[in-house]
Amino acid sequence: MNKSDKILVSILLTILIPILILLNFSSSSNLAIVYYENNEILKIDLKKAEQEYEVNGYNGIVKIKAGNGKIKVVEETSKNHICSKQGYIDKPYETIICLPNKIVIKIASDSEYDATL
Amino acid sequence: MDLRKITRISIMLSLAIVLSIVESMIPIFAGSIPGLKIGLANVAIMVVLYVYGFKEAIFVSISRIFIVSILRTGLFNITFFFSLSGAIFSLVFMFLFKKIKVFSIIGVSIIGSIFHTIGQIIVALIFVQNLNILYYLPIILVFSIFTGLLTGYISKQIIMNFDKNIDRNTKM
Repeated sequence: MNKSDKILVSILLTILIPILILLNFSSSSNLAIVYYENNEILKIDLKKAEQEYEVNGYNGIVKIKAGNGKIKVVEETSKNHICSKQGYIDKPYETIICLPNKIVIKIASDSEYDATL
Repeated sequence: MDLRKITRISIMLSLAIVLSIVESMIPIFAGSIPGLKIGLANVAIMVVLYVYGFKEAIFVSISRIFIVSILRTGLFNITFFFSLSGAIFSLVFMFLFKKIKVFSIIGVSIIGSIFHTIGQIIVALIFVQNLNILYYLPIILVFSIFTGLLTGYISKQIIMNFDKNIDRNTKM
């Protein structure tokens, strides 16, 4: 590793680490939003008891389990099943991406939540 | 073309294919971040890039994507374009940064790793059309820096010990 390699790594980390800290520095939220492409197709109140939902993805039905403050994908049609292996998410801005199904699930931030009240 | 060169490039191609397949069987656990990979196949690509050059490396890289896709996930689906875009972005930027001779092979490998991620994200954005998928970009980029360091270091060791009597077109 020469000097410019070290400078490269330092610059990259200086940009990325603060972004990471900001993303993790947020309070809780109780709203999950499910998108197909850029369209909101489902809003789930996470304060309710856990319950299953089904939405239509690009490859077929995507089964979602949500409630008690968290949400996860239970079943979907894809080659690698990355999004159903991911498990629960519960923090604001946290996201589940079912790429082959064009489904994106995110937990809304508090400001977005307020706007829906 | 020199027979020894053909043989060596073929060996590197098979190595890249095997590394891709083996790697897809190793799950990486890092919190709940989806889709992380070390990118070991890039070791074979970098060796070809540094020992032979860009033409040979792009041949190995693209052939690898086609063969691995035929064997595992199928051609011309989203996973295929995802891999293809990552591979091309990564190699083009590694080639450019190798050319300007500012970084060592390790820096070039980090650049390759980062642009692999960026190439994939661009295809993902075009396909899903939802900006929320950028959420994992910062953490994946941090991960890329370290995997780039690792594969760069391995490539450096291999190239240093690569048969001394073949023509190198570059200095590390």
